[in-house]
Amino acid sequence: MDKYTYELYSQLLKTSWKVFLIILGIALMVILFPYAKDVLIMFIIAWLLSVLLSPLVDYLESKRVSRGWAILIVMIIILALIALSFSLIIPGIIRTVEALTTKLQSDVINELSVKTEAFFEKNFNNAELARNVTAKLNEIGVNLLNSLGEFFKNVGSFLASMVIVPVITFFLIKDSRRFKRAIISQVPNKYFELSLNILHKVENQVGKYIQGQTIDALIVGILSTIGLFLINVAFEWPIQYFFFIGMLAGLANLIPYVGPVVGAIPALIIAILNNPPNLGMVLIWIVVMFILVQAIDNSLVSPLVVSKSVNMHPLTVIVVVIIGGKIAGAIGMLFAVPLTGIIKVTLQQVIWGLKKYSLHSISPLKEDSFLNPKGGEAA
Amino acid sequence: MENPIWGNSIFRKKKKEDDILTLLKQVPIFSDLNRKELAEVEKIVHRRTYKKKETIIKMGDPGLGMYIVVKGSVEIATEEGKGEKSALAHLTEGSFFGDLALLDESPRSASAFALEDCNVIGFFRPDFLDLLYRKPKLGIKVLFALAKTIGERLRRTDELLMKTQEKKSKTHHG
Repeated sequence: MDKYTYELYSQLLKTSWKVFLIILGIALMVILFPYAKDVLIMFIIAWLLSVLLSPLVDYLESKRVSRGWAILIVMIIILALIALSFSLIIPGIIRTVEALTTKLQSDVINELSVKTEAFFEKNFNNAELARNVTAKLNEIGVNLLNSLGEFFKNVGSFLASMVIVPVITFFLIKDSRRFKRAIISQVPNKYFELSLNILHKVENQVGKYIQGQTIDALIVGILSTIGLFLINVAFEWPIQYFFFIGMLAGLANLIPYVGPVVGAIPALIIAILNNPPNLGMVLIWIVVMFILVQAIDNSLVSPLVVSKSVNMHPLTVIVVVIIGGKIAGAIGMLFAVPLTGIIKVTLQQVIWGLKKYSLHSISPLKEDSFLNPKGGEAA
Repeated sequence: MENPIWGNSIFRKKKKEDDILTLLKQVPIFSDLNRKELAEVEKIVHRRTYKKKETIIKMGDPGLGMYIVVKGSVEIATEEGKGEKSALAHLTEGSFFGDLALLDESPRSASAFALEDCNVIGFFRPDFLDLLYRKPKLGIKVLFALAKTIGERLRRTDELLMKTQEKKSKTHHG
């Protein structure tokens, strides 16, 4: 075997070994995913929290508070807010949804069914069609509210069981630089600057994206709450728990195109169930208010706070929301778009890096140039 | 020789850190920093090892930051296609290169190769910007020293340019 063939064989062996390891890694991830799903979701939430809180910690650090203390102060404030929301908001929402489900299953649906049947009989002279339509509507309504109830119960128990998330968040903020250095120290020299540059750019853009989305959701939530409050004042309180519904609309806004519609539905349902004297006007005002909030969000808020680099086609949004729902239910649907945004930004940066960097590990120069380097001015 | 079982690794680590701090102190942009500030810088630098002939930075690649030679020697050279190069400098322990990349992402003006197996410390722009935000007092000290270093280099370049122009005009008139 000549030297060239030997080198070729050894190179081939090395490559096949690497390919085998990669396939083994992917297979392990697929096999372990169902078991590790909960841990993974915990880490993702902790990481999102760390991205959100880091700017506050950095700000306190710039005011000469030590990093450890800065993290502690921010974490205590956030934990207090989370505890407050658990004790006040979540049980309230679960109670509301359960009450609504019971109500929907009883009188109101029957009333609506009778009205719809009468409408169909009068206009189309087809009682069978009317019954089918009302049965379907009934099913959709109950399913929707059940799933909404389940969503909040899941979120509640999921978050309540996650005492560990704040701990992970603390260490992610405290040691983020150390983790980054540890990861980057394993990268071969050939890809070192490329990886470091991509890592920093992705970190920067993803941070801005997540912070932007959160601020946007918060503003939409506040605007929707104010809108619902004004409708309540004008029409003798047809929408209870307007604060939760407004904030829910803000949360739903994380999902583009789908979110704004989903955000309006609970308010409409509650108004219908309460059946105020001027229901038609209330419903119109709710729709108008949500359209107005969206208009303000799209023209004023989003352009200022949400990063443009993660704009997605509506079709992409729908597909990833469905996939997210299949993988991790309601939480998956909520996080599908932000996670896709992160993947998109990462891919964009990787492509940028591969275009800009010439990946040479060994100098193309001749051996003798290293033995007799010419002297010169410092670069 | 230190006993591998009973030798205290904490002290060994401390000594290694002290060496790094002493080396960082020698670099002009860190020379005004006290020990505590140097320790802060040490937390954000990257240590790398390069084998002989390995490329550290490549001419034309986006600039990311500066390197300090800890051990070994590095050659700075410009490349003009097909492996032709002209060496600009030969750097040894304590020397640094690529400091202009701390200011922007302009393409590297020269390549750097390891002339022998060497250890370097990398200090990069994103970490520097982060430091400037988190520790403004420390960041400004580094920034000011960097400005002084670049200003000094500009002054030397100006002097060289004037000398060359004088030479040219003398040859022209002569």
